Amino acid sequence: MLISLTWLQDYIEIPPAIDSRELAEKFTVTTAEVEQIERIDISAQGLIAARVISAKELSHSRNLKLVELDVGGGKTVQTVTAAPVIHEGSNVVYAPPGASVASMPKIDRASVADVESCGIILPGEALGIEMAAQEAVFLDETFSSGALLPSDLFDDWIIEVDNKSITHRPDLWGHYGIAREMAAILRVPLKTYPVVPIEDLMTPDLPELPISIGDSSACRRYSGLVVEGVPTKPAPLWMQLRLGHVGMRPISGLVDLTNYIMADLGQPMHAFDASAADQIDVGWAKPDEKFRTLDGMERTLHSDSLMIQCQGKSVAIAGIMGGLESEVSETTVSLLLESANFDPSTIRRTAGKLGMRTDASARFEKSLDPTNTALAIQRFIVLGRDMYPELTCKSRFSDCYPGAVKPTTVSVNPAHVARTIGRNVSLQEANDLLKPLAMDVSAIGDQWSVAVPSFRATNDISIEADVIEELARTIGFGTVQPAMPRVSMRQFEKNGLHELERQSLAYFTTAHSYHEIHGYIWYDANWFRKHDVDPGQCVELKNPAAEGLQYLRRSLMPGLLAATARNRFYFPEICLIETGSVFTRKQSDDNEVRHVGLVRARRGKKAETAVFEELKGAIAGWAWDRFAKQVAYRPAKANKHHPWEHAQRTAELTIDGDSYGTLSVVDASFRRRMDEHLASWAIAWAELDLSKASKLARHNEKLDTIPANPLVELDFSFLVPSASLYEKVVANASGFEHPLLRRLCYVGSYEGDSVGAGQRSITLRALIGEASRTLLDEDAAAFSKEFEKHLVEFGYHIRR
Amino acid sequence: MDIDQLNEQIARIEAQVGLDLAGVEQVDALRSLETTVLGKKGSLGVLIGGVKDCPPEQRKAFGQTVNQAKTRVKTLFDSRLGKLQSSVSEAETKAETVFDPTLPGKCKEMGSVHPVTSVQWEIERIFERLGFTVEAGPEMESEYNNFEALNIPATHPARDMQDTFWLDNGKVLRTHTSPVQFRAMKKFGAPLRIIAPGRCFRYETIDASHENTFHQVEGLMIDRDISIPNLIAMSRMLLREVMERDVELRVRPGYFPFVEPGIEIDMNCQICGGQGCPTCKQSGWVEILPAGMVHPNVLEAGGVDTEEYTGFAFGLGLTRLAMMKFGIGDIRILNGGDLRAMVSPERLGGPILKDKV
Ligand SMILES: [Zn+2]
Repeated sequence: MLISLTWLQDYIEIPPAIDSRELAEKFTVTTAEVEQIERIDISAQGLIAARVISAKELSHSRNLKLVELDVGGGKTVQTVTAAPVIHEGSNVVYAPPGASVASMPKIDRASVADVESCGIILPGEALGIEMAAQEAVFLDETFSSGALLPSDLFDDWIIEVDNKSITHRPDLWGHYGIAREMAAILRVPLKTYPVVPIEDLMTPDLPELPISIGDSSACRRYSGLVVEGVPTKPAPLWMQLRLGHVGMRPISGLVDLTNYIMADLGQPMHAFDASAADQIDVGWAKPDEKFRTLDGMERTLHSDSLMIQCQGKSVAIAGIMGGLESEVSETTVSLLLESANFDPSTIRRTAGKLGMRTDASARFEKSLDPTNTALAIQRFIVLGRDMYPELTCKSRFSDCYPGAVKPTTVSVNPAHVARTIGRNVSLQEANDLLKPLAMDVSAIGDQWSVAVPSFRATNDISIEADVIEELARTIGFGTVQPAMPRVSMRQFEKNGLHELERQSLAYFTTAHSYHEIHGYIWYDANWFRKHDVDPGQCVELKNPAAEGLQYLRRSLMPGLLAATARNRFYFPEICLIETGSVFTRKQSDDNEVRHVGLVRARRGKKAETAVFEELKGAIAGWAWDRFAKQVAYRPAKANKHHPWEHAQRTAELTIDGDSYGTLSVVDASFRRRMDEHLASWAIAWAELDLSKASKLARHNEKLDTIPANPLVELDFSFLVPSASLYEKVVANASGFEHPLLRRLCYVGSYEGDSVGAGQRSITLRALIGEASRTLLDEDAAAFSKEFEKHLVEFGYHIRR
Repeated sequence: MDIDQLNEQIARIEAQVGLDLAGVEQVDALRSLETTVLGKKGSLGVLIGGVKDCPPEQRKAFGQTVNQAKTRVKTLFDSRLGKLQSSVSEAETKAETVFDPTLPGKCKEMGSVHPVTSVQWEIERIFERLGFTVEAGPEMESEYNNFEALNIPATHPARDMQDTFWLDNGKVLRTHTSPVQFRAMKKFGAPLRIIAPGRCFRYETIDASHENTFHQVEGLMIDRDISIPNLIAMSRMLLREVMERDVELRVRPGYFPFVEPGIEIDMNCQICGGQGCPTCKQSGWVEILPAGMVHPNVLEAGGVDTEEYTGFAFGLGLTRLAMMKFGIGDIRILNGGDLRAMVSPERLGGPILKDKV
């Protein structure tokens, strides 16, 4: 929200020693963040008021008009303007030759479109007012033709307050509320809000305006007044400048006046043509009711849209926008002024559904103080009488106030204040701090009772912590002496999953050179469609970030494989790891589990065995490193929703017989479909269930004792049919019993030219020994003979 | 044999060793000569072995003599061995190219954790040293835990500030790590010290500085007398540790429904040092740590006795911090999976000699 310092100075005196930036900084650290502070420096010199005598189109140019101006003293000049609207008889801001503003330092006579043009009709933008391009600023009768416009009228400082930081402060949505905060910060007095006494508007001889509220939970208060004598004319220049500087475009005297009160007090107002709305009912729209709003748009309403109605006919969408039919026009004789208070969530819902967020609805959503409906009308009369000498009331101040707010008091324990702020605050100090904010602190026993003003009672201060906040911020967070906490020692149950995740990442990235990536937690449905694969039953986003991104991932692999493809040109080998959540449609708590996904990819089709073995080796190392457990791999069926699982070459990882994940290589046709360049790559991947693995108990890692007599290592290589699984072969071999056998280990396996087709060579190592003696060559020979005999029994052919 | 005979025999052996050694040019030959002299069956070895068969009265003198001889002979062998070895290594050195100690070594490619993970771990270690436990919490969260438990009712304007991803199973993707506050209070009760790093999601259009998927770390501390001075001291500690230098803080009011009082902690801009630059929007300050005293409604929802306990909470943008620390200009890099932008070149290859990238 934009705040004018000139405007604030109607209500407080800012000490000259405090410059505007310092003021903004104080506001930021005490109240709400100032996003920006901007000086409006127009440097106006010699601007005057001038009356338009005539305006005619310059025939040879569409956008230009030739205007004859009365510049006072009986003199006239002619000037060319591009202003879209110029009425004869209106007053404009005119810069004669020799005058200047910051953006136009040299104003002179010129020849424009072959016509002599003397000086210029100053466009609003040159005065810091955001208006349509070239639009002129029209003046009321305050300044007669030729009158010099005081140069200090145009300059200002504008403070931009972050809207998000005042969503909980309805009182700060107007200059007067900001002035109250500033007064407290600067410790200067705040002037009383200038209004006519309410009694003056309660004249008994004027009629009461009929107002009824159907649902008091949707409309807390509706105040109205009928007035006459408000002809169409521009607002005073000072008002237009202030509105313009805080981002509200001047429109007409009446609209500007209600906008001014909204920016002043924070209370939105609306004026109806009383001939179209002479009594008020606040009620709900009819389902699918059509309604044309002020902006000319036809809206379709909902049965929960709150409306202002007159004898069953809608005249405004409550708190959002008025209707076109009841709009005030030049023919309007009397006006019905609305100043109401609506339920914030009703307005929020309606504005949201209709897609109409207006300055008014934004304020109502903050839960405004109902007291302000009367104040706004009282203020209207003060400002209106200055602008419209003929202004007269045609009704009494009429008010329907079913939801009157009761005065709020909050009970505060001073010990709690001290506990939170870190020091004692006396009753005296509390009053010194809070009185400027219109809060009164009194002691009742050892507690405080804090009286909260109505403008802080809606959606703002209701509990002790709220008052503590007021004290803490007015004392100043910057004055707090930091102090480390005193704590009660306690032990927290270990978070095994998080630790496993951290250790797993550390292990794979340091021991095996994997690179960690982060992906999105949703699938790309187009990726699945491309492969003609159904992603399976997924949790779906109701509002995905984009078309096709609705499925929450059930696997990390699509993301990892897409990242592999993305890096394929730049690296001959790509090792990626991601840990993250995957989701299922279960209702139980395990519908979100943590996985780790691994990809090991290498350029060259022949690398497939190598990358798969390296991946398996890394996983075995992980299991040993984390749990001191050996892993086993079993053949597994590929999941039809997971095209990256190879139909024949998919395995599951087991530890102690339980499955902890899946691993495989990516088959050639899928690689090619994924990305033609990956056709010549070998890709192995694994996806492990960390949530499940985190429940695995860690073994104690047992170390060897050094044997008294050295052990003898004997290697045995033998051929087995390729179709025999390692698991089966080593189970057979391990069945061998011998008194000298201390340990039997797997060394490696080999398939290739030297062993012949359909065969695999497996090498095992036996460690033999005896505690009491050193083994002789004969012992080793005898052992070998027996072990080989054992292997031959299974049909394995010993290689020598 | 008497002692004189022994001495004579030893003298002969030593003389022979001297002659033989002079003719030895290979280490292997020297080793086998050594065995023929000092081995169990060697000329001197036999004498050493014979000591135990001497009559007891001679044993000591014989033993001494033989051992001294052994030492002398061993010295002869060792000195010859030394000469042979040095000439061998000289020859080897000559055969190779010049030894260049300044050449880089060889190492397999280094792996890497994600920049966000790196910063996350750093913060976890800082707080673990202070007795905090790390909690995670799910990314798919109930609406209640994400909003109501944090004092954000359905009608609260703050729900406008939270652009939420809604799921068809009635849950939401958490919009912040704050639901972990509620979960931890339910799980552990008070007193409590946790940090909760993790992914969060907001419905937002992605560009260079906005992401719909990002990381935060939530901190929560509940104890008997937790105060605003405690919160400020801990924030200062955190930022100083993370930035690895002293930082200036600006503490100001901030509004978040789950804290009261709510504060915003700004850090002096590390780019311009507080003078004002585009990064800090000319203010000299960077918003870094939204925080506050835990709202009584939130403590009560978590079952914490508000008469006995108070607490503070903060939420640090891990993603933004990682971008600051690693000099990442475009947020999209972090979820993009392109290693070229996420892994330092030194990890991917050899030493960098000139860098104008
Ligand atoms: Zn800066």
